[in-house]
Amino acid sequence: MNVLIVEDERSLSHEMEIYLSRQNLNCDVAFNGKSASDKIHANSYDFVLLDLGLPDMDGLDLLRESKKAGIESAFIVLTARSEVEDKITGLDLGADDYIAKPFSLAELHSRMQAILRRKHGLKSNVMSIHDFDIDIQNRTVHCHGNSINLTKKEFDLLHYLALHKNRVLTRIQLTEHIWGDVLEDDYESNYIDVHVKNLRKKLSAQSSVDWFETVRGVGYRVNA
Amino acid sequence: MTIQVKFALYNAVSKALIILAFMTLLPILVERIVYEHIDKRLVARSERILLTVKRGSIADIVREQDCSFESYNILKEEFVAIYPITDPLKMNNGTQIRNETWSIEGEKLQHRIISRPFLYDNQMYELNIGEGISTIDELKSIIQRFLLVMMLGVILISLFIDLAFARLLLKPLNSIISTKLLPVPSPAYFNFTPIPSSTAEFNQLDNRINEMMHKLKDSFQIEKEFISNVSHELQTPISIIQNRLENIINEGNLSDELLIKLSDSQRTLNRMSRIIKALLLISKIENDQYLKQDAIGAIELMDEVLEEIEERLTEKNITLHKYFYDDYNITHCNRTLLFTMITNLINNAIKYNKDGGNIDIYTHVKDGRFQIEIKDSGIGIDKTDINGIFDRFKRLNKNKADGYGLGLPLVKTIAGFHKIEIIVESTPNVGTEFTLRF
Repeated sequence: MNVLIVEDERSLSHEMEIYLSRQNLNCDVAFNGKSASDKIHANSYDFVLLDLGLPDMDGLDLLRESKKAGIESAFIVLTARSEVEDKITGLDLGADDYIAKPFSLAELHSRMQAILRRKHGLKSNVMSIHDFDIDIQNRTVHCHGNSINLTKKEFDLLHYLALHKNRVLTRIQLTEHIWGDVLEDDYESNYIDVHVKNLRKKLSAQSSVDWFETVRGVGYRVNA
Repeated sequence: MTIQVKFALYNAVSKALIILAFMTLLPILVERIVYEHIDKRLVARSERILLTVKRGSIADIVREQDCSFESYNILKEEFVAIYPITDPLKMNNGTQIRNETWSIEGEKLQHRIISRPFLYDNQMYELNIGEGISTIDELKSIIQRFLLVMMLGVILISLFIDLAFARLLLKPLNSIISTKLLPVPSPAYFNFTPIPSSTAEFNQLDNRINEMMHKLKDSFQIEKEFISNVSHELQTPISIIQNRLENIINEGNLSDELLIKLSDSQRTLNRMSRIIKALLLISKIENDQYLKQDAIGAIELMDEVLEEIEERLTEKNITLHKYFYDDYNITHCNRTLLFTMITNLINNAIKYNKDGGNIDIYTHVKDGRFQIEIKDSGIGIDKTDINGIFDRFKRLNKNKADGYGLGLPLVKTIAGFHKIEIIVESTPNVGTEFTLRF
């Protein structure tokens, strides 16, 4: 899977590159609009992660131009600018998703996977974690054929942890994923812990959940 | 009261006053003129009679009637009378003109009378010439009536003309008000088209308003750029650190202690990022950068928010009661912002509630306005603190560091943006009630 990171802030593109490479993605980097445009036309990328504030051009123009030229890559717009208009224009111009800076790399990765699923349809829409089968399409969880009734948030949480299995997800990463769009006056809340507690209770009623690990003082990890 | 109405009222009152003055003055005036006319005539007649007398014919005149003479015309409107003066007090009187009721053959009539004493043959006589004035009152009332009708007509006509003129005159002012002032203008969408007027003052007013709005628009633009710059310049470094922290945490083979420190740093960084986001959000709303093009039902909105955060209720065993009596279609709104507003309010109701407490949510129409009430059974707010709850960075529960003090300011800004009135009532240890009036 090939990814082009278009981001003039080198430290940022570097961190993105590290993270995505660890997910076995081939990363290419462009620091300005001109070289991005050249690379987009010369290579075939599955993903273009596009920062809007480029030194030599507006990222939206690059998006418009690429879409016009029939580039098939999935575009994810990354911006820290006045996002309201950018989001609307970006999505209008054919961007596949939009993430406001600062974003979590785990979130970026999960959005990319969601696009893949949407665009191509993954081999299977069911992820298996030990005895549990998570059906992403229908948003259901089964264990030995028994359906487990999860709330929307509980499902999102389990899905996100399963997506990043064998890695610690911090409470902040989980909070950002579950309630990222809502700006509220709460940063120390332990609502994530409440959800995890409820989720564990529902899952453990069916089978063992030893794999659902609490990393003390940090967050949670699904080991599989 | 509009200027037009005031103009009309002023016109009507001032004209009514003029009529009133005329109506009181006119009879006096008419009387004066008529008297003057009669007096002149009387003087002339008396001169003529005295001349006749001097020629020596008084004897002829008075002979028949014991030294007196009285003559009336047939309608008793005029008379001439000569009497000898016997009263010595009257001897020195000069010519007098007066009104007097004169009894003529048993009929009392009001007369204007000139009295002139004269000497004839060593005997003082008094010549009295009278002219009836009963017709004057008639004349007065005729003139008065005529004038009244005429003036009423004139006033009505002039009132209409005045009104039409005032309307024409004030037309530019009215359009300045209706297009430039009444819809409290946002500089971004302000209509700078000059409003044509031949009145210098209105032109000045229009020009000044346009100038002011230009300045406002400029500073709005500057602020917008500033917000955008701050956004970019602050969020980028935060992004870098955040992503770096994520990568380090993901590296594995870190000691537990280091991992905890890193995740704490991530939390702190997240706090900073959220504060910046909240401040930027408030600034952007105040800078009119959000569109209000959505429409959503109030109950739908409430249910959406509740679905998002309802599960938090279980943490404190809070029972939520929904009393959704009336629904309301919120139009011209920003759905995302309203969502944020309601979320913060309900979240507050959860956060500051007691264990096992209640939250009651009402939606109903009261006094003709739709309102949402969110009532908790929480710790409440002291009277002294209640005015400051919407101030930025003001945290009431300082020992409980669970917010950054921007939740309620955000609520207030969003409510203001949508012209929703917020009322807070609170009793310490009983609970707080937020009312949103649409």
